[in-house]
Formats: sequence, structure tokens, C-alpha cells
Amino acid sequence: MSAAKAGGSAPIPLPPIHRERLPNGLSVIVAERPGVPLAAGRLVLRGGSSLDPPGRSGLAHLVALAARRGTRRRTGPEIDLFVESLGAELGAGVDEDATYFGLSAPVEVLPRCVDVLADVSSAPIFPAAEVQRLRRREVAALAHDLDEPGVVADRAMLAAAYRDHPYAHSPEGRSADLERVRRLDVAGFHARHYRPSDAVLVVVGKVSAAEALRVVRRRFGAWAGPEGGTPPLPPPPPMEPAVVVVDKPDVTQTQVRIASPGFARGSPDYFRGIVASALLGGGFTSRLMEAIRVNRGLSYGVRSRFAASGAGGIYVVSTFTKVETTADIVQVTLDEAARFRDGGPTEEELERTRSYLCGLFPLSLETHDQLAEKLADLALYGLPDAEITDFRDRVRAVTAEECREAAARYFPLARRVVVAVGPAKRIAKALERFGPVKVVPARKVV
Amino acid sequence: MDAPSARGYLRRPMPSAPAAAAARVLDLDGVRTHTLGNGLRIRLLADPSAPTLSYYTFFQVGSRNERLGTTGISHLFEHMMFNGAARYGPKEFDRVLESRGGHSNAYTSNDVTAYYEDFASDALETVVDLESDRMRSLRLTDESLEQEREVVKEERRLRTENSVFGLMEEQLESLVFLAHPYRWPVIGWMDDIERITRADCEAFFRTYYAPGNAAIYAVGDLDPDRTMALLERHYGDIPAGPAPGPVPQGEPPQRGERRAVVRYPAHAPALLAGWRAPPGKSPDAAALDVLQVCLAVGESSRLRRSMVQEAEVAVSVAMSWGWRIDPGVFVAFVELAPKASGEAAEAMLWREIEKVATRGVTAAEVARARALLRSSVLHELATHHGVAHALGQAEALLGDWREAGRSLEHYAAVGPRDVRRVAREVLDPSRRSVVTLEPELGT
Repeated sequence: MSAAKAGGSAPIPLPPIHRERLPNGLSVIVAERPGVPLAAGRLVLRGGSSLDPPGRSGLAHLVALAARRGTRRRTGPEIDLFVESLGAELGAGVDEDATYFGLSAPVEVLPRCVDVLADVSSAPIFPAAEVQRLRRREVAALAHDLDEPGVVADRAMLAAAYRDHPYAHSPEGRSADLERVRRLDVAGFHARHYRPSDAVLVVVGKVSAAEALRVVRRRFGAWAGPEGGTPPLPPPPPMEPAVVVVDKPDVTQTQVRIASPGFARGSPDYFRGIVASALLGGGFTSRLMEAIRVNRGLSYGVRSRFAASGAGGIYVVSTFTKVETTADIVQVTLDEAARFRDGGPTEEELERTRSYLCGLFPLSLETHDQLAEKLADLALYGLPDAEITDFRDRVRAVTAEECREAAARYFPLARRVVVAVGPAKRIAKALERFGPVKVVPARKVV
Repeated sequence: MDAPSARGYLRRPMPSAPAAAAARVLDLDGVRTHTLGNGLRIRLLADPSAPTLSYYTFFQVGSRNERLGTTGISHLFEHMMFNGAARYGPKEFDRVLESRGGHSNAYTSNDVTAYYEDFASDALETVVDLESDRMRSLRLTDESLEQEREVVKEERRLRTENSVFGLMEEQLESLVFLAHPYRWPVIGWMDDIERITRADCEAFFRTYYAPGNAAIYAVGDLDPDRTMALLERHYGDIPAGPAPGPVPQGEPPQRGERRAVVRYPAHAPALLAGWRAPPGKSPDAAALDVLQVCLAVGESSRLRRSMVQEAEVAVSVAMSWGWRIDPGVFVAFVELAPKASGEAAEAMLWREIEKVATRGVTAAEVARARALLRSSVLHELATHHGVAHALGQAEALLGDWREAGRSLEHYAAVGPRDVRRVAREVLDPSRRSVVTLEPELGT
């Protein structure tokens, strides 16, 4: 066990994977895997909240939720009862790039659940009463979101970082937009965008691939979607530096987000990016964790990550601190980013971080649901399975100089937005040192 | 380094199945057990299906072992465990572990404090060295105590002071319990966090982190004989400690509803209710799990249908019933629609519960609950981490790690009549506590 081998250096094994494209264009991926007698299914349709029409943010999300509220064969409550009585879960949601239907089921009932999955994704009827009810619930849920400072901070950060790009709003949308959504918007969105030729279905578990493929062909084979393809998105506009304070007069702790321009999911900088990010704000020994939590006790937690989407991405540092030290925590973060850019990581730090990432990676693929999600993401972004199997080689190949370059390009140095959710009266002035401060009421964010 | 989330929908530990499928989901015949001379319990389970290991250390201490004035010490102390010992100094624990491709964290609950490492199996010796070092010879300094105190205060601001649910939960537990230490929050009162001294921490360590108060669960790609010898070598000569004192049990009977109001500048109202419930090892625990699922797990559960889908008074309904060592609490949390009447929503919640208490649930509802619970157990047992945690939790809370493999049998034995009975006995209106959130005008 030499040090170089520490943390695992072997290729990551994948179970046998069977792929097929149905005549209607649906990509099917089945991974046979031993383990607990469960199966995961994941249907991914290209196109998510970035397809929301202007003034209708939250529509794609509502469509995904409403799809399971009724088909020609089953009402919404019947679908709920059927799925749950089998011990299964059927979820739906969207992110900026895609729409997801997730299934987790005991393996013996998988065929029956796949039947429901096909039904809700390809043939929903969107009963008006159910659509309106869901819309009301989503609006009401946004009021509760408004009481979660971390959620408000994330939303304000997207808006500040992406401005008028379709990535600028959260998938849940804004109340005022949702209020305007009608059933026709929902049905129209489905008719325009849910197409098998731009979708992938992944099944992972203790299944027979032949059997699973047979079920999928039978249930999904007749699905006919609209002609054409999902329109490509333009890249995000250049980031405009900004300091935004979202006013929450009564909180005792400020939620802080610092975002800078990142990269798209398919970027060649992906691996050096994740290593550099882990060094700055990854595990318990990262630079930011040490500077903010260990050395100064400023926060309970700090994390950084590249949020890499199809058309572009951002780099985000998330943290929080008591109101009195809001400007301090921003300053420490920016100082650490600059220090990293100037000096890069030490060899010991780099080696430790690479080992950490390599050691943890298999744990992120341990369950059927996790592997299904990973395979679906690779398919969505057109990336090879080698991103999994060669993960360790790719991480181990990242050099200190490459980390430094990634920092210089992506860390929050010149172009960045700083978002702070807290009492404006007490924090805005101190944040002026980072640029002109814009104060917005929390209501404007949701 | 987490306090537990109280917002779980399904209790994490154990689960269930239809009678026919009540076969064991977890083969515990292979568990190797041993107790060292100093009292440290060891449980090993070899499973070479993946080249990873999960290593859990459970200490039989949580907020139930605390006293007023030093509430929160269990949790604060958990933070201190990462700040250096005799051989591995400050900042080294995570550095060494991460350099071996491992990951570590910990949590404190009302009942236990648990630490874990997940790692590639060839790092086992390093992990044993790290863990035994801090059990043997933790170094507590004023400097690290002051730093962790600030970190924990931030954690409290995050989870309690600036969280609607956190504020309400703190009120609820102090209503449900008058005498038992479950009445204070796991993270402790802010004033107590300020006040805990290094001497408090040292005494705490001597008593509650002694090997006789701990158990180790290693699950994964390991050789039981060699691992047992390795543990004996590293932990065997750590001196035994004093026996921990008893936990006050004199909770008086509740003779009527208790209520509290939280006024806060929130944008929507909420309702939190709790009932004192039996201990986790009660024969009724499984029936309460089934009741929880019938009422509030899944879209087709009674409360989701009635309150969220039909009446639209609520945005979400969740129930949580976490098994505890001493009689715990069965909780209902309702996020109300902003314009809904709190009184109407409350009345509806009581009515739905009363229906179950008087008329019971159907066999189909029980079957649905069992199926969902079985899947929940399978999910938990799908990873080495999950199995190690299940073993530790079963032993710490129920007194026997074998219970980790018995949950499906327990669920299979629950019938509609049991569900009705526990609903009547536990969710009694005169023994409930209610916290309402009244939004104040503000932001």
C-alpha cells in the first residue's frame, strides 16, 4: 500500500450495461447489478426550466408535477395509490436543462411501475382541476420558501449571475408568473417538448436486462412525440459584477453566496475544475473550511462547487455567518481565492485532495438510484461512460499548475456577484467595499 | 458534525414487508461479536461485494444525559473530537483520513453520539489508528473549545433561530416534556453553549467516551479474524471508565392539551403537534411506524389527500416518529397555505386522527404501509454505511443489534386493529402539545 495508491487508483468498474434505441428515438440504458432487490428507473427529457416562456417561469416544473395527476387510464389519486401500494416511489421534477421522472421500486413490481412511468410521461391529460390545484400549491409553497434564507439566497444568486438568461430563474419559478399559468400553457408545453427522440430512460438494479428491455419496448414503443428537437440555448452573457443584499430585517445570520463565471458541463476544464474546487471549498480540510470554520469560527459550514449546466455554468461558494461578521466572511473567501490563484496548492494538499475525490467517488455510485442518475446525466450531456471508469485517472492527472490556472479563470476574483440575505440596515454598508450595493426586498426574489 | 434533522418523513432505521416476504433482508448470522476487557463492544460484518468499508463508533450518550446549565455539551463535545489527540494532532484527523481516500462525519441525537468513516478497505488500519487515538487520548484545549463554541453557535443560528421549523420544534419538545431531558434541544440553549467549560468537557469525556460506553460496527470488505485482532491491539488497553449516572425518568402524566405560540415574521403559518409516545423498544413501535405511513407518508396517505389535495389547507404534511431510548414523541408538522385558517386546518388534523382512532384503517392501507416500509428498509440496507448504522442504532436504542434484521417481522405482525389501538392510546387529544406559528407583519 504505497502512498501513491492511497485512496484507490483502480478503474471504477461498471456493471454490464445494455443500450438500445427504440424506433421512436428513445434511448434506453439498462444496468444489471446485484444488491438489494430494488430497481431504479430514471426518465430524462432534454429541456427543463430554461424552456419556460417569458413571464411563465415555473411552467416546466408544473408540467412535470401535473403529468402524474392523470392519464386516460388512471386518475391522479389512482396513480398515487397504485404506485405506493407496490412499495414504490414516483417523483417528477426539472432542473435548468432537463425534466426528470424518477422511479424507485421493488424489483418484482418494476414492470407495473414502468407502465405507469410510460403512461404519465407520454400520455398525461392534465385535468384542469388538478392543474389549478397544483398551481395553487406551488404558489403557496413559494411563500414557505421565502422563509428559508438559504433558498432565498440561492434564487437571488441565480438572478444576479445569469441576469436575463433562461438559467436566471429557479425551476420552481416566481409566484407572479405561476399565478398566470393556465391549463393550456401546461398541455401546450407537454405537446411541444416531451419527445422520445430527445429522451433517455435508464434502469438500474437486480434486473434481467433482456426482461427490462422487453418491458420498456412494450410500454414506451408507441410513444410518438412532436417533430423536431429541443432548441439549443445560447451561452450565458458575461457576468456583471454585483453586490446584492436581499433584505430580511429579522434574521440573526446572513446567508452568503459568491458566484463567478464557470464552465459548461462538457468543458475540458471539468476535471481540473473539480479538483481546484475541492481544494478551495470541498471537504473538511479545504482552504475555506480551514480559514472560515477552523481558524476563525465564522461559520458552521462553507462549500464551493461548479454548477455546470449544458450551455454554461457558474462557480459558487455558499456559506453563512452571524450578521455582525457578514463582510468578514466575504473578505476571507475572496482573500483565500486570491491566495490560491497566486500560489496554487501544495503537493501534499493536492495529493490529499485527489485521494479524497478518488476514494469517495465509488460511494457516490453505491445505490441503484445514484448510478441511474449518473448514467442519465452522462447521456443528457453526451458524455462517455469513461467519465466514470476513468474518473480516478483523470483526477490523478490534474497538476498543481492546472489547478492554479482553473482558479485564475474561474474563482471569484474580478468578475463575481456577491449575494447576502440578511438585515440590509446592518450589513449593506459594510458590503460596499466589494462594489455598489443593490438592496432588494425578499419578496422580489420569489 | 451534524445535529439530526428532525424533519424526516420515514424513520431511518428499520423497515418491513408483507407477511410472505417477511424473510430476513439482512443476513446477520455472519456478524462477529466480541467485548474487550475494558467493556468496548465490537461487531463486524464481512461483505466483500464492494471494496469499501464503513466504520461506526457509537457512544451511548446524547442530550438525555445532560443537565441544565450545560445543555448541548454532547453535541459541542462531538465537535471537539475532531480537534486532535496524542498521536494525531489538531487538524490531522481529517487530513490523514482524506489522504487515504476516506470521509468522516458524526451526529448527535437525544440518545446517542455516532461517528463514522467511509473508505476504501485498504485504509482500515489508518482508521482504527485514528479512532482509537482519540478515544484513548483526546486533547482538549481552551483554544479549540472557543473556536468550536463559535461554530456551534452558528449551527444553532442556522438550524434553530433562523428556521421556522427549528423555532417551533424547540417549543414543542419543551411542552411535551416537563421533567425528562428530552425537553431541551440537542444543540442546547444558547446561554449554556456559551457557558460550557473545558473542565466540563474533560469530565464528560472521562465518563461518556470510556470504552465501556461505546461500540464499534465495521461492515464491508474486511477479514473478521484479522480485524478483531487489530481492534484488540488498538483499543484493548484503553482504561475502563466510571459508569454513567442514571437519566431522570420522572415525567409526570399529562392531563390536558398544552399549547404555545411562536410569533415570527414568516410569510405563511404552520402547525406542529406532538404526543408523548412509547420508547423505541416498545412492542407498539412497529404499529406506530405503520400508523405514521398510513397518515402522512406518500401522496395517497390520509393527511396528504385530505389536507393537501382535497381541502388545500396545507402545502405539506409530515409526521415523524423517531425511536428513542426513553418515551419519545410522535410529531405532526403542517405547512399551511398562506391564506388558510389555522383553526380550520387544526380541526381537520384532529378529525382525521380521530377517524383512525375510532374507525381504524383498512387492511389495504396497512398493506401499503408495509410495502413502503419494506422498501425503506431495503434502501437503508443497500450500503455498507447503512448496515453499519442500522446495527449501531438498533443496539444503542433498542438494546440489541439483532433488531436491525427483525424489522420486517415486526411490521408483518401489525394489523389494522393494532394501528387503531395505538392511534387511540398515543394520539389522545388530551395528551397532545401544539405549537402554532403566527406570521407577524414584517418583511
